[in-house]
Amino acid sequence: MLTAPSLHADLTAEFVNPILVSTRTVFQTMLECTPRRSGLFIKESMIPRYEISAMIGITGKAAGTIVLSLSRRAALEILNRLVGVKADEIDRDVCDAVGEVTNMIAGQAKSQMEHLEASLSIPSIVSGVDHTIYFPSNVQPICILFDSEIGPFAIEVGFTEMHDPGL
Amino acid sequence: MKVLLVDDSGTMRTIQKRCLNKLGVEDVVEAEDGRQALEKFSAAKFDVVLSDWNMPVMDGLSLLKEIRQLNQEIPVIIITTEAERARVVAAIQSGVSDYLVKPFTPDGLREKLEKWVGCQV
Repeated sequence: MLTAPSLHADLTAEFVNPILVSTRTVFQTMLECTPRRSGLFIKESMIPRYEISAMIGITGKAAGTIVLSLSRRAALEILNRLVGVKADEIDRDVCDAVGEVTNMIAGQAKSQMEHLEASLSIPSIVSGVDHTIYFPSNVQPICILFDSEIGPFAIEVGFTEMHDPGL
Repeated sequence: MKVLLVDDSGTMRTIQKRCLNKLGVEDVVEAEDGRQALEKFSAAKFDVVLSDWNMPVMDGLSLLKEIRQLNQEIPVIIITTEAERARVVAAIQSGVSDYLVKPFTPDGLREKLEKWVGCQV
């Protein structure tokens, strides 16, 4: 019999393949670059891999968070590749561009998991070295590492099952 | 061709406007949400509406329903990450003309415009 944490880990793991597929699709179509998976591990630290985090909440039969973790260089390059604007700092335009890429990755992944009947939140962006992201205590997040032409980046994902109060 | 382009993301509006410009469509009016779009729709004549789904203030589906109260004929194409069957069905029931899933290519947008506006772009 599975324990509760392993159930949640299984649920989170269900998202890994859809996220791999959607990340590749979005990066190739919108950014003309090909991400290659370079690692995958269960996350223990609350500090994201890189200094910019774009977060989207998903709620439905499962609830959780998808975080696109980017270096400053990768975030600036996303704006440049999307709209041809070179920025020197993490400004509103960079955050908007990073948020849209995250939205597309999460949306594409969600559409591969229709049985969860999930909805997406509007993306939030946090910037700063060593900022922390707290997943709920019963969630075991997974971190997927990628290499790409715009630099390395990571996607962190953690999900838990939602219980139907009517049952 | 006059296009009403509705998306809360400035990045997405820029990308779509650039695609439209490459297709030779220069007359593009932008709106940041459904309510702003409805005001602009009521004030001018458009050939097609391209709208995001998830937006603050008024979302794309609510905008679509409002537009259909005013105009049954104009093509309204929803451009969104929401590709699930239930969402597509809801959009069709509300009178959407077509659906383009993000991420999309300029060719994907061109095909939709040619199909619905009925001219080569």
